[in-house]
Amino acid sequence: METFLIIGGALLFIFIVLYNTLISKKNQVDNIFAGLDAILKKRYDLIPNLVATLKEYMLHEAGTFEKITSLRSQALQPSLNAHDKMALDKELSSMLSSLMVTVENYPVLKANENFLHLQHTLHEVEEQISAARRAYNQSVTDYNNALEMFPTNLLAGFMRLEKKEVLRIDVAERENVNVKNLFR
Amino acid sequence: MATLSSLLEYYYETMQEALLPLEEERKRIVKKLQTTAFYIGLGVIVFFIVLHKQMHFSPLQASVFSVMIGFLIFMFVYRHEKAGFTAVFKDQVIEKLLYQIDASLIYRKESAIGEQEYRRSELFLEAYDRFEGSDLVSGSIAKVDVRFSFLHTQQKERDSKGKERWETIFQGLFFCADFNKAFKSKTVVLPDVAERSLGVLGTWLQGMNVTRGSLMKLDHVEFEKVFVVYGDDPIESRYILSHALMEKIVLLQRKINRPIYLSFVASRIYIAIAYTKSLFEPILTRSLLEFSYIKEYFELLNTAVGIVEELKLNERLWSKR
Repeated sequence: METFLIIGGALLFIFIVLYNTLISKKNQVDNIFAGLDAILKKRYDLIPNLVATLKEYMLHEAGTFEKITSLRSQALQPSLNAHDKMALDKELSSMLSSLMVTVENYPVLKANENFLHLQHTLHEVEEQISAARRAYNQSVTDYNNALEMFPTNLLAGFMRLEKKEVLRIDVAERENVNVKNLFR
Repeated sequence: MATLSSLLEYYYETMQEALLPLEEERKRIVKKLQTTAFYIGLGVIVFFIVLHKQMHFSPLQASVFSVMIGFLIFMFVYRHEKAGFTAVFKDQVIEKLLYQIDASLIYRKESAIGEQEYRRSELFLEAYDRFEGSDLVSGSIAKVDVRFSFLHTQQKERDSKGKERWETIFQGLFFCADFNKAFKSKTVVLPDVAERSLGVLGTWLQGMNVTRGSLMKLDHVEFEKVFVVYGDDPIESRYILSHALMEKIVLLQRKINRPIYLSFVASRIYIAIAYTKSLFEPILTRSLLEFSYIKEYFELLNTAVGIVEELKLNERLWSKR
């Protein structure tokens, strides 16, 4: 009887540890995604100011501004799922970076204090976003590993946990910006 | 940062001649110590004979006792002589070499990084019983506020026989500076001893280290091999440890080739480079007229001053301007 109790207790203990490991990894992914979301929101908050400042100078880019504004309002909808949110963010990122390249054609902007401040803040937020993406990917990898590795995989099947996708970073984004190529 | 060729020029054109009186002083001290050692040696023999023959000590007791007394007297003379020489050496060699590298820096041979700063870095969590330091260099390098000094912290321990001994916690160069990004959390980067020697088991053990915060796995293979990272905010730790910075830390580690500890606390960076000896102290047996000897001090100072440039701490983000 005693042996049975010891074995039962040990099994229960192992079950609790494995269960908690999986749940904490899952929550870690959600947590970091919330962090990433908060930083993305910081960038969305910058956009109206940026657009207002640039509009005065860059009259030919009206179409781009409209697109950016509409992407921003789409991205701010609370009903979006993670996948769509990331897709919108990717589009917005590439539009903003090409806009920042076009800015080089407007020397007068580079003397505008307000614009310079916005540009630097945007750059800082971009760095934070990239850090948050890396943190998110690591947490997803940890979580996916737990789902596939023995013995947590046995329990994950019962708990109906599903693998999550890491955020892909485009090769072009990963490379350092080559200033020479930009101004060719 | 100064180059080796500029040092060569400075050494042979200006410094060497200025060091001649100090070199004479060194020779005098060495000679004095040799003479002292000789007389103490004689004294030890006489003392041994007196103890053994007159006072009936056993040969073992008499020899231990007399050698110990002789050794203590010699150490007293040695320390006294060396202290005076060290002070002049620091003024004439260390300070001048530092000004050769960057004349705007301030050198104080008797000051050091404070205990508060050492504790704030959270690099070494062990309680210390002895805190010593010297050779504080402070100032601004490429507009970055920087301070570094020699530090030595020790812990008193008792072995199984109850004998007291001093264990070193950290000995070496302790560097702190303003970091180029603003952050609120804490990130600590330590040499990865466990993973290198124990592999997967080591990683598992590192995860169990509850005093350090949670273990961070970073996406830089080379960096992960050499260091282990703990922090309390996974996003901010990665914001601080960008790919570029990790790359630079790996290069710095390779260049210095010593255990390096880094921490990022309240928008400041702390770097501790461990050595097994005192830094910036003269070696009485080596001639000051040997370039290779002076070069060692120059390289040490140059490495410390060069950290700002090496890690690009001067490239600041907007919120830190």
